[in-house]
Amino acid sequence: MDFNQRREIARAEWDTFEKTRVPRILIGAATCGQAAGANEVIKAIDDFLKESGIEAIMTRVGCIGMCYAEPLMDIVKPGMPRICYGNVTPQKAIEIIKSYLINNDPRRDLAMGTLGEATIEGIPRLFDLPMLKPQIRIVLRNCGLIDPENINHYIARDGYNGFERALKMSPDEVIQEIKRSGLRGRGGAGFSTGTKWELCRKSPGNIKYVICNADEGDPGAFMNRSLLESDPHSVLEGILIGAYAIGATEGYIYVRAEYPLAIVRLKNAIQQMREYGLLGKNILGSSFSFDLHIKEGAGAFVCGEETALMASIEGLRGMPRPRPPFPAQAGLWGKPTNINNVESWASAAVIMQKGAVWFASFGSEKSKGTKTFALVGKVKRTGLIEIPLGMPLSTIIYEIGGGILNDKPFKAVQTGGPSGGCIPRELLNLPVDYESLAQAGAIIGSGGMVVMDEDTCMVDVARYFLTFTQSESCGKCVMCRLGTKQMLDILENICQGKGKMEDLDLLYNLCLQVKAGSLCGLGQTAPNPVLTTLRYFRHEYEEHIKKHHCRAAVCKGIVSAPCSHTCPANIDVPRYIRFILDGKPDAALAVIREKIPFPAVCGMVCIHPCETKCRRGQLDEPIAIRALKRFASEHDNGLWKKGLKICPPSGKKVAVIGSGPAGLTAAYFLALKGHLVTVYEALPVPGGMMRVGIPDYRLPKDILMKDVQEIEKLGVEIRLNSTVTSPENLLQAGYDAVFLATGAHKGVKLGIPGEDSPGVIDCVSFLRNVNLGEQVKVGKKVAVVGGGNAAIDSARTALRLGAKEVTILYRRTEEEMPAEPEEIEQALKEGVRIEYLVSPVSIKHRENLQLECIKMKLGEMDSSWRRRPEPVKESNFILPFDTVIVAIGQQPEVPEKSSLEIDKVTHTLKADPDTLATGIKGLFAGGDAVTGPASVIEAIAAGRQAAISIDLYLGGTGDITQILAPPEKVLPPIEESGEQRRPAMPMLPIKQRKNNFNPVELGYTVRKAKEEARRCLRCDLESED
Amino acid sequence: MESVFLTINGKRIEAKSGMTVLEAARKAGIYIPTLCYDEDLEPYGACRLCVVEIENMRGLPTSCTTPVTDGMVVHTETPAVTEVRRMALELLIADHPADCLTCIKNQNCDLQKVAAYLGITDSLFTRSLPRHEVDTSNPFFSFDRNKCILCAKCVRTCDEITGVGAIDLINRGYQTQVATFGNRPLLESICKSCGECMIRCPTGALAPKQPAQVEYEVKTTCPYCGVGCQMYLGVRKNQIVSVRGDRENQVNKGRLCVKGRFGIAEFVHSKDRLTTPLVRRNGKLMEATWDEALDAVVAGLRKYTGKTAVIASAKCTNEENYIFQKFARAVLGTHSVDHCARLCHAPTVAGLAQTFGSGAMTNPISEISGAACIFAIGTNTTEAHPIIGWEIKKAVRKGAKLIVANPREIDLVRDSEIWLQYHPGTDVPLIMGMCRIIVDECLEDREFIRQRCENYDAFKESLEKFNIDFVANVTGVPQEKIVEAARCIATVRPASIIYAMGITQHTHGTDNVIALANLAMLTGNVGKTSSGVNPLRGQNNVQGACDMGALPNVYTGYQPVTSPEIREKFEKAWGVPLPDKPGLPLTEMINAAHRGELQAVYLVGENPALSDPDLNHATEALRNLKFLVVQDIFMSETAQMADVVLPAASFAEKDGTFTNTERRIQRVRKAIDPPGQAKPDWRITCQIARRMGAKGFDFEDPAQIMLEVARLTPSYSGITYEKLENICPQWPCPAPEHPGTPILHAEKFTRGKGQFLPLEYRPPMESADAEYPLILTTGRTIFHFHTGTMTRRVKGLNIIRSSELVEINPLDAEQLGIHDGEMVRVISRRGEVTARARVTENSPAGVIFMTFHFTESPANKLTINELDPVAKIPEYKVSAVRIEKLA
Repeated sequence: MDFNQRREIARAEWDTFEKTRVPRILIGAATCGQAAGANEVIKAIDDFLKESGIEAIMTRVGCIGMCYAEPLMDIVKPGMPRICYGNVTPQKAIEIIKSYLINNDPRRDLAMGTLGEATIEGIPRLFDLPMLKPQIRIVLRNCGLIDPENINHYIARDGYNGFERALKMSPDEVIQEIKRSGLRGRGGAGFSTGTKWELCRKSPGNIKYVICNADEGDPGAFMNRSLLESDPHSVLEGILIGAYAIGATEGYIYVRAEYPLAIVRLKNAIQQMREYGLLGKNILGSSFSFDLHIKEGAGAFVCGEETALMASIEGLRGMPRPRPPFPAQAGLWGKPTNINNVESWASAAVIMQKGAVWFASFGSEKSKGTKTFALVGKVKRTGLIEIPLGMPLSTIIYEIGGGILNDKPFKAVQTGGPSGGCIPRELLNLPVDYESLAQAGAIIGSGGMVVMDEDTCMVDVARYFLTFTQSESCGKCVMCRLGTKQMLDILENICQGKGKMEDLDLLYNLCLQVKAGSLCGLGQTAPNPVLTTLRYFRHEYEEHIKKHHCRAAVCKGIVSAPCSHTCPANIDVPRYIRFILDGKPDAALAVIREKIPFPAVCGMVCIHPCETKCRRGQLDEPIAIRALKRFASEHDNGLWKKGLKICPPSGKKVAVIGSGPAGLTAAYFLALKGHLVTVYEALPVPGGMMRVGIPDYRLPKDILMKDVQEIEKLGVEIRLNSTVTSPENLLQAGYDAVFLATGAHKGVKLGIPGEDSPGVIDCVSFLRNVNLGEQVKVGKKVAVVGGGNAAIDSARTALRLGAKEVTILYRRTEEEMPAEPEEIEQALKEGVRIEYLVSPVSIKHRENLQLECIKMKLGEMDSSWRRRPEPVKESNFILPFDTVIVAIGQQPEVPEKSSLEIDKVTHTLKADPDTLATGIKGLFAGGDAVTGPASVIEAIAAGRQAAISIDLYLGGTGDITQILAPPEKVLPPIEESGEQRRPAMPMLPIKQRKNNFNPVELGYTVRKAKEEARRCLRCDLESED
Repeated sequence: MESVFLTINGKRIEAKSGMTVLEAARKAGIYIPTLCYDEDLEPYGACRLCVVEIENMRGLPTSCTTPVTDGMVVHTETPAVTEVRRMALELLIADHPADCLTCIKNQNCDLQKVAAYLGITDSLFTRSLPRHEVDTSNPFFSFDRNKCILCAKCVRTCDEITGVGAIDLINRGYQTQVATFGNRPLLESICKSCGECMIRCPTGALAPKQPAQVEYEVKTTCPYCGVGCQMYLGVRKNQIVSVRGDRENQVNKGRLCVKGRFGIAEFVHSKDRLTTPLVRRNGKLMEATWDEALDAVVAGLRKYTGKTAVIASAKCTNEENYIFQKFARAVLGTHSVDHCARLCHAPTVAGLAQTFGSGAMTNPISEISGAACIFAIGTNTTEAHPIIGWEIKKAVRKGAKLIVANPREIDLVRDSEIWLQYHPGTDVPLIMGMCRIIVDECLEDREFIRQRCENYDAFKESLEKFNIDFVANVTGVPQEKIVEAARCIATVRPASIIYAMGITQHTHGTDNVIALANLAMLTGNVGKTSSGVNPLRGQNNVQGACDMGALPNVYTGYQPVTSPEIREKFEKAWGVPLPDKPGLPLTEMINAAHRGELQAVYLVGENPALSDPDLNHATEALRNLKFLVVQDIFMSETAQMADVVLPAASFAEKDGTFTNTERRIQRVRKAIDPPGQAKPDWRITCQIARRMGAKGFDFEDPAQIMLEVARLTPSYSGITYEKLENICPQWPCPAPEHPGTPILHAEKFTRGKGQFLPLEYRPPMESADAEYPLILTTGRTIFHFHTGTMTRRVKGLNIIRSSELVEINPLDAEQLGIHDGEMVRVISRRGEVTARARVTENSPAGVIFMTFHFTESPANKLTINELDPVAKIPEYKVSAVRIEKLA
């Protein structure tokens, strides 16, 4: 039978497959599908079909790449488009089959999309889904669609046409065609495939080999496996074309033994090729003869390196050898050898099928065509994707990947596996092509793409990859064997908090030398994860070394419990939670008080970073740590004072400027250290933003004042209405040290025409006036411009002041909104409206305020690593309001007469981030005045640091730690309770919130508090076993 | 190789294409540090110290792996290069113990040298603690992985140089280490303890257990096998304290086997050495003065005039053997002088003399690695001739097809393309069967046969009987394998035939040799590079002892005693009348002694009481002698029966020459003084001769003896000690300016035309029967030598191999209920011995194997005293035995 006849038969067979007369059920049963449960689904369907007598044909197909939705099931009914269903379970599958095949209801609610020309109303086209739409599927064109064990399916879809075309050309013409396509090595090095073939073709010798490198070993990479499992012939056709072009008579596919299904499919496909006369002597009647062998690799990462791979085929230990000679000169068994990656071969096949020009029409200037990636990690939609080269990273992560899991901030993406590098969020707009990635210090590699969010520690990531490369080094060359080991040792030390700053220089130099001096690609690239994290995340390294702080709270050596590690004041959260569980809220409070003087305030308003890293959150929901803190603060019986030690007077005098959380915290701890502290407050009330920035319904004033009074009881004098114009004067006036913590009390202006109109007010002034008890009037219709917590506070306050309609105007979308989600939720419940993608352009004052706005759309990522809002041209519209509150930011107001250095952009004071010392001896600065508007707990942390630094400056020990709580009793072990969510916070009913400032959150009862405390996993005890 | 010019550090340098940058730099005197480079090994590129910058090349290529090209511009000392080198070395040092002062390699350590060159005194990194146990299992060297820098020189040596492959790298990354199979101690591995790895180790990882502080070194030739490795003996206070191979020597190129490297000093300095003459008085050997002893010898030999014989020694020098045979012929008036060549290669001498005209290895050892095909039959080369074994493996590495014909699964089988496992004693049908196939398939070298050979038709006719069915049936080798082997040797050229005792020690030994000569001529594999018929001689100087005429039928240089002209020449030279009939060969001397016809024997450096077949018979024969003089360095089993025992000097204590298996004449030099009153053999024999009134024994030194040898021996005519200082030629070396003859029969055969000889199959004398159902075949192990007089005195060798191990196939063992390691009794028609059994598939079913090194289990008590009719060699290789498990 000649090949044309075979093609006719194949096309007929494919035709009946597509235009089926009997319903077909297609299950994605590649390794990924099977791992997700495809086999169970298949069995259930099989049983069901037998039982029910429904006539349908079931076929196993490969992987379409939507890993996040596996197992996948497609159903084709005669005359209907193919429908794809995701996340199928046996029950769900049978439900769908019953519904669709018997009742003709395609279950639109469960369908993901349709395939093919025709559509079904209510079901989107599959390739219109956000994950698939930006993709260009060339290499993956057949994956998940055809039966990978049926060569006819491949042939019917133009398979082996490329080879047939090649046979009609001279080998040199084939090489020229590949060169014209611009195809570059998809194994990651990016060398021109055509040129590579040419070198091997020109190399003298009668015996030549081609090798397909299917030793995919990067952690998190599975492109090659999926392709081999889903469309093996596309790779084999490429090899055939290459062998013909190069003049090879024998080929090897080096595939790791961990890919059993790929091996089965390859063996099957090779057998079919033999039957079809596509392998062996005189292929398709030509003078070209070629045979192909499969060599199973034992899973050594280094065997992906071409010379090591060839050594392995030869039966030797898989160790690389130096080049030259290059494989094209002397490769396998010393003969000229061409080795390409799976995807390169598959690309060659499609290039010959569809033409070089067509292929080169995709991609960027220097990186032509498409590339497959395994998109994994912390994205919503993981999967196998194929994109035209040059697509920005952000499109891949946010459109195809759907953004970060749980909407956490994106931190970095590791491309190219352990040989690649970490690309930070600053480079989210980076086009993904060979040059750009290389410039960023990463590589395309074989195509692994691991997305990381804020819960990933970059030092730990570097350490992880080094662990891998270190143990996968073949051990041959000194640089790689010992260099990676020393790198790993240094990284491990840093992760355990045992690092030294000079380690970073050593590490960096070591990386450079290992890169320069290693024998093969493994060693030459192993430092990349370290180099890129050092380049983009050096601050994380320094935090580990200097502060023993891991911001992602993952490094076990320095993180006992993520909650206390994440807390800026390092409150020993698990310990106080255990006291609550033990029925001792007073002792719990003592634990909190060991670190902060504002337990009640924090219990009410803390932004609780602790909860974001709570390990329980990975199970179901984080512990309600703030609520438990509030519960503890409500049970103050003075126990904490019993253990409180006050040092004898030191004779030193300290002035604190500003009575906010930073100032008063510093005052408190300095007083405990025996220093005489005077606090200067410009306002008539103490408490700073806690007092004048936070509305009463969130933080009642009496609660704040109770915490303030405890500080005063230590002898701290708070001088109200005392504006300090020059901190230097205080030093001259006899204070031994001064702590400047004046906060950020100046509202930022919009900078648009009409902003000074009556009825326009900034949120800081607005909230301060309200909190100082002044008569503040708002109109019926109030607009709040901005998206932060202050905007929400302003909106909710306006409602309580009698506004009938409050609208928040925000220029981005809900996703980017910086306000706390729970605050937004409450605001919405209370009736606040939020308009997204809107920005004011001007304000005109007529009888009311005419706010001219413009619609916005999101563009590229900006420096805040959110997508930049861009005005939509000519979309201006006017909204009428009575009052406009501008809540787009706050700035510090620095003392007028001071020589302190100020940042010109942020207007913040400059101080040493570690010691808070300023350029003036004896003058320290911290809190919002230095950092810009931040949270109470961060200000408290700054106050603590100021106390430490000032005490040290005054000759003290700088030790402000005190144990106030009694020793813990051993508690019974944690009960395994399965999924359990936190108890709801009792809330003031919405109706009762009008026209008053009564607290909205009502606090936990004893029972609820204990119930919640019981959920704590006690991570802090973990490391002690 | 063409010349290329490159620039290194601005200096224009000439190099040969194919050289590496490192080699070119070294040649030009430019130092580039390296730790993994070794000139004997293939480039490896692991230590990264030899990196350089090369213009127009990416990164920092390693100079040890980068070939030179014309116009290349190299910089060896740039900042980038230095940075990498320093880092590499600091990494190594961080992982290396800091115990330099107590390290055996202190000041001899390459790591130290490179550190000094780079000016590195400490490492920036945290030093690792020792993490490996030191492997001290090997008696000669220790293996401390803590000091290992993983340059893999040892691994590569074991693979590339020796082909043993006892060690390799295991694990990955930082866990990578050098280890044996299964990470067992070295002693439990297949390691042959040659120490080649140790001498290449750049650090103290592989280091000798006994450090040597050498005063001076003396270059000499190894006293063990016939390969003739040259070595330097390191001497301190008249003691040999070290041995190292001579890199300049063409034979071993610095390589040594375990015996040569580690098995010399101990036997030379053994407390068992004979230090005074002994004379038997009242049945007991008593110490005597030299005068007393020599008088006794003279008296004894005189008394039995006409019934005396001399047994010379393949362990003694050429000069000494010349003296022995001259003594026999000129003083005792008998041609009955022979030596142990009778027991090993007499058929070679006989068989090749008939076919080619001279019986010695046709081609040099160094050509073996160049062969395209090697037919190794009846030789367990890697055990008996280790360095030649390595050359065979090297050839295989380079792509040669190796055909191994051996009943046992010897080490070389692992490297072979074809293994012909034939029944012991079926050599003639096997080889003639191959010839038949070659002729049938018209693969013979007709041109060669026509031009260079004769008697082809008769030979061809005799092939009729060796049809493939018959051959396969008799030999037990599947037909297709014989065909494959025949085609291979006929078509893959050049082919080199290598054989040893497996061919000769048969009652049809001479036929076997002739068969091989036929095969070589048939395929045109004579007189060409890397071809030929290459008998491997067993003893260090067995070739020389034959050359010197320590044979009953020839004078020096194989000049027949029956030739009147030759006799005349020697009568004239020696001034005495000489007999015209050949004397008794060694084996017949024993028989004659047994019969009482031979009554006195002057025996030098041999031990027939352990080496002769049918020992009971041999011992009886020796006892039957009226007078026995034994001259030796030890009180051997034979010496114990002597009437006078004369203490001789060992090879290290005298001057002379040895001629190795490839006919190369090499110097033996005195390194130390003999112990006690021991004297060089030539001096003792000359003294006896003089005391017996003979003339022509007044030599001052061996150089003078060699002058006489050269005068009387055409093939040695060009040999003088002066010449040997510079080159060690292979004979024939007919004139002083002659460079020697590496390849025999190059233009024409020694006898003119090569003579094909027809053959017939004669089965071995004994075959398995109901009473003695097994065939015993004998051989050697690498760890011991012959009757063990030398090696059994080396403690380390006894640790590695302490006793006889009877190799028996698991099938036979199971039938007999014998388990590995159990004691068994082996019984033949002639005697019985006990030894431990080693159950192994190395021996085929029906065949057991023993060595003859162990006096406790003397295998030759079992062997048959049946002789080849021509060469008079006994059939050591085939004896019928039975085996019993010891209760």
